Amino acid sequence: MTLNRYILRRLIEIGISFFIILTGLFLLFHLAPGDPVARMVDPSMTAEDELRLIAQLGLDQPLWHQYLKFVANFFSGNFGISFHYGKPVSQVIADRLPNTVLLFTTAVILSALAGVWLGKIIAWLKGRPIDTAVTIGALVCHTLFLPWIALLIIWLLGYQWGWFPITGMISPEVWIDPGATLLAKSIDVLHHMVLPMLTLFLIHFGSYLLIMRSSMLDTLAEDYIYTARAKGLPERMIRDRHAAPNAALPVVTSVGLSLAFSINGGALTEKVFSWPGIGRELVFAVSNNDYPLALGCFLLIAAVVLLANLVVDVLYAFLDPRIRY
Amino acid sequence: MAKADTTVHTLGTSDLPESYWQSAFMDNWGVLSRHTIGRIGLALLALFALMAIGSFIPPLIDPIYNPMSGVDPGISYASAPSWKHWLGTDFIGRDIFSQLLAGARIAFLVGISAAFISIFLGTAIGIVAGYAGRWTDTVLMRMADIVMVMPTLLVLLIMSALFGQLNIWTIVLLIALFRWPGVSRVIRAQTLTLKHRPFIEAAKIAGASHLRIIVRHLLPNVLPLALLYMTFRVTSAIVIEAALAFLGFGDPGTVSWGMMLQWVWKTGHMFQAPWWLLPPGICISLLTLAFYMLGRALEEVLDPRLRREDPEE
Repeated sequence: MTLNRYILRRLIEIGISFFIILTGLFLLFHLAPGDPVARMVDPSMTAEDELRLIAQLGLDQPLWHQYLKFVANFFSGNFGISFHYGKPVSQVIADRLPNTVLLFTTAVILSALAGVWLGKIIAWLKGRPIDTAVTIGALVCHTLFLPWIALLIIWLLGYQWGWFPITGMISPEVWIDPGATLLAKSIDVLHHMVLPMLTLFLIHFGSYLLIMRSSMLDTLAEDYIYTARAKGLPERMIRDRHAAPNAALPVVTSVGLSLAFSINGGALTEKVFSWPGIGRELVFAVSNNDYPLALGCFLLIAAVVLLANLVVDVLYAFLDPRIRY
Repeated sequence: MAKADTTVHTLGTSDLPESYWQSAFMDNWGVLSRHTIGRIGLALLALFALMAIGSFIPPLIDPIYNPMSGVDPGISYASAPSWKHWLGTDFIGRDIFSQLLAGARIAFLVGISAAFISIFLGTAIGIVAGYAGRWTDTVLMRMADIVMVMPTLLVLLIMSALFGQLNIWTIVLLIALFRWPGVSRVIRAQTLTLKHRPFIEAAKIAGASHLRIIVRHLLPNVLPLALLYMTFRVTSAIVIEAALAFLGFGDPGTVSWGMMLQWVWKTGHMFQAPWWLLPPGICISLLTLAFYMLGRALEEVLDPRLRREDPEE
């Protein structure tokens, strides 16, 4: 009951936050130099289509009316028509979103699991040379400049050794072939996914490891660990069953808190590897002055980040029974 | 009123004797310089600072070493390292080593100024929110929450879509405007713990104004924490500027490391010119690492609890 109430309260807060972001963008859109109508209407459209679109988006109305229309359009999923694709923005986004989710969530989950696992072991070996080496290694991973490491990975694994495809998400020959099975197609996508995922993995893994390590060290100083020792439990059991689950909680929080940072990285990765996701679409839209598409992608990402923070908080409450809202 | 200032202070007031500052500095410096990670960080930073200062020299030697406009008349392609060009040249014959030095200057410029502004904003907002409490606190912290979840790089992208090419100072300002919430949260939490300490109560009773309490009593106590966060903000500012330049939205009038990477990438030299691809990336990564290491070491200096846990890291 209390949890439901908490979720409801957070949802309302998220709604307000989103409204503020939406308003801010609307204002920026109209304050920026240049003609706002020209930003929403493709210059190559016929005059008739142009008038229809202007009417549909309410661009011929007074400003406050445009604002209401803007908000209403957003909530009904109407972001306008992409200049480049000539399709509704919502459709372009719907095509791209699954790709981003696939790449991004797999990378974040894998790196969190690996970081927690290695962090746990390293904290246990605190003070040994291996601990210092891994800690410094994790620091280095965490501070690597993402586009650069992506280029290096492409150069080494994709170009020099030729193990993985360099760009894109699918090889056309596999997908055109009518005899290709679903399995062959999935393997093809996975094959393309390895390099971008490795990049994201490297960047995230270090910070999760560092958080897990320090949180594990805090946990090991707690009284209940002494109790476990006093009971004569095997060390492995203390580490894996008593200390690690508690120590992993801050990692969950940090996944949520660093989401905005991770999304930046996701967009860069998609761009470098030409992975057809939302981030690449946003960069592309900005480069080509495709304003409706850029706006749509940005708003979607903002909404996802806001909701993801809520998901992480709720997940935290499930994982840690001491948390009560 | 002056009397109130000399009452129980935890740390940092102007009334303490000179020798106190000296010994406090030496103590902290001792911890910092004994700390391996901190030492590596400082050494790296010194190296990059040298590079930034040295960036003025090559164009003086010969105009062909000008990072932006200097072109070697004999070379019009990406050439490998040689005696004349220590790190080779880029696709139109500009010297990569002097570009790298100029990049260090831009990185420090962007990192430190953006960090300074965001720390200033974050500290001011954090102290006011924590000290004022009630609705001021709620409004400011809700605002912080909203700004915090915005991916700064994407915000900058949208801005450059709307306003066209951003110049370097606009980029710095925008980074700062979107990177204060983390700082203000920490400063607010610290302010909340200080607010009900006896020395604040004493100052209040002695008739100190709110402004005086904030500036003379709260600020000195939260400043070390703010400085710690500054090192992390420097890192993120440098990375965001580099990423923006890499995507092609940097200030076209500056030579930053991100810009250099973009040139390698866009001109399709990443498989052919390792001497061009490697240095800028190594520099960005190492400089962020250096600030990060310094930050971790400072954390230990400021938080004795961490010091005890890791005596010889």
